[in-house]
Amino acid sequence: MPFRDQVDPEIVHALDFFPAELMTAIGDDPPLARKMFQPIWDALADDAPPTDVAIEETSAPGPDGDIPVVIYQPPTPAPRGGLLWIHGGGYIVGSGRNDPHGIGFAEHVGCTVVSVDYRLAPESTYKESVADCVGALNWLVDNAAELGVDPKRIAVGGASAGGGLTAGVALHNRDHAGHDLALQLLIYPMIDDRHDTPSGHEITHPTVWNRAVSLKAWRMYLGDEYGTDAVSPYAAAARAKSVSGLPPAFVTVGALDLFRDEDIAYAQRLMAAGVPTELQVYPGMYHGAEMSAPDADVSTRMRLGYRDAVKRAIG
Amino acid sequence: MSFIDRVDPELVPALDLFPAELITAIGDDPPAARAMLEPLMAAMAEMLPPTEVTIEERSIPGPDGDIPIAIYQPPAPAPRPGLFMIHGGGYIVGTAREDLNGIGYADHVGCTVVSVDYRMAPEFTYKASIADCFAGLNWMFDNAAELGVDTGRIAIGGGSAGGGLTAGLALYNRDNKGPNIAFQLLVYPMIDDTHETPSGYEVTHPNVWNRDVSLKAWKMYLGDEYGTESVSPYAAAARATDLSGLPPAFVTVGTEDLFRDEDIDYAQRLMAAGIPTELQVIPGMFHGGEGFVPTASVSQRMRMGYLDALKRAIG
Repeated sequence: MPFRDQVDPEIVHALDFFPAELMTAIGDDPPLARKMFQPIWDALADDAPPTDVAIEETSAPGPDGDIPVVIYQPPTPAPRGGLLWIHGGGYIVGSGRNDPHGIGFAEHVGCTVVSVDYRLAPESTYKESVADCVGALNWLVDNAAELGVDPKRIAVGGASAGGGLTAGVALHNRDHAGHDLALQLLIYPMIDDRHDTPSGHEITHPTVWNRAVSLKAWRMYLGDEYGTDAVSPYAAAARAKSVSGLPPAFVTVGALDLFRDEDIAYAQRLMAAGVPTELQVYPGMYHGAEMSAPDADVSTRMRLGYRDAVKRAIG
Repeated sequence: MSFIDRVDPELVPALDLFPAELITAIGDDPPAARAMLEPLMAAMAEMLPPTEVTIEERSIPGPDGDIPIAIYQPPAPAPRPGLFMIHGGGYIVGTAREDLNGIGYADHVGCTVVSVDYRMAPEFTYKASIADCFAGLNWMFDNAAELGVDTGRIAIGGGSAGGGLTAGLALYNRDNKGPNIAFQLLVYPMIDDTHETPSGYEVTHPNVWNRDVSLKAWKMYLGDEYGTESVSPYAAAARATDLSGLPPAFVTVGTEDLFRDEDIDYAQRLMAAGIPTELQVIPGMFHGGEGFVPTASVSQRMRMGYLDALKRAIG
């Protein structure tokens, strides 16, 4: 059955939200991709209704200089829950600014959101990306009181590459800093550099995140480790040998997402390891459609699914 | 980590509601199990709140004699959607009067529910169970006008063994060119006679549906086919090699359910076959836990999950 015929009718119109040229550019010409991507992202923010959430750009100390972060503060009285939000973009594009997720979580959950501008590939590899996200998490934990955040209610979350970094940060935190995390929010996370699953071969449509661009992105993100057996689990969480001792997880993905089967498999591994894990898979849903077709019923359900999960965990 | 530590704290007190003796008897002494279950079901039915749903018991012609059925009618005006509901009980126990679910679906969806007393193991094998369900399904379509049901909106569904029979009936109906089923609702379905999965080995607690009793139940249900390579997919849907052409599906299961991994795997296979499929896996939930502790947060989420899924599909 052709891909388009499997897509939920309410989100078919948004299949061209990201032009095929942008998808291709992410894999072939990252600077051009960034130029094409940011206006689309900014337009989403411009279309957003007015909000009571205060937005502040600042920075956190990082291993190699300051890490830019954006703080989204809701009018909710302190102490609030705190969410470290890691943006998506295939590890190549995107930024913590104008991320509609940040306002969305701050409003729906009443939590403080810290969105981190981590270093991207191909200029850096996963080592810098993970280090920046870990640095931002440490900063959030260390400055919880000043941010009005209850240190017992801190979660990490992200979508797509941000979901992949979330899973990697959760593993890194378990192995190193050991902060008490209330939740890892894995929204269609990009966690397996091999994509050697049924869905990893199914999704080739040029205007959605597809196999060809994803493998190119992994190559840039992993550097020398790409194609070897030594890929770090902090880069590709599906490579982790043990997933025990991780924070409770919420995993969601669309049935027409390249990452469908790797995400389900990771959720199953978390469950088998005794990590409290919830999994929601939505029919007819392609990668990121709840952002590009936000009013569709299936989009609303997916978005409510993950926002409510954060609310239950740290709200 | 012990099983109890993995169960949602709100559900733990209910672990003793279903006595270990009853679970054991299902595998070892089916008549005794049925005698023990009857007062439990009656007590649960007593606890149900008042309802406007009417319940009628009658019988319909079956392949080998009459089949007793129960019809749940909501006050919603005709033409209504319809649910052909198949009760659970490990293929060994249970009756068409699964009131919690029958009333729940009729109330929430405004649909007519027809539930059949299919023949069970060990007196009969899956062949009789499937034949009775297929006869009941056809009767529902043939008598839709009298029942006030719109034949374009008839779903099939059930929990546990009833979910297994739902999956089997969907396959049988496809292969025998039966009526057009709008939807299959698979609530923690019992579909794999091998339970060769991580969860199939994890869940051994004597007060919940566990590996030991489940394998005994399969042995009775499959008869001569048990332990062979030729187990019918109509008995154990996980055995089906072709899942194309099936109705849209909703699959839900708890993380502490013996069937967790087989159900997730089946949902993944449906998705790969292009069947619109939604999957919800609820953390800390054991088999049937949402029925034992209906007030628990995870119970309400699981229950609203499948009730709403049916409503979206046919309501």
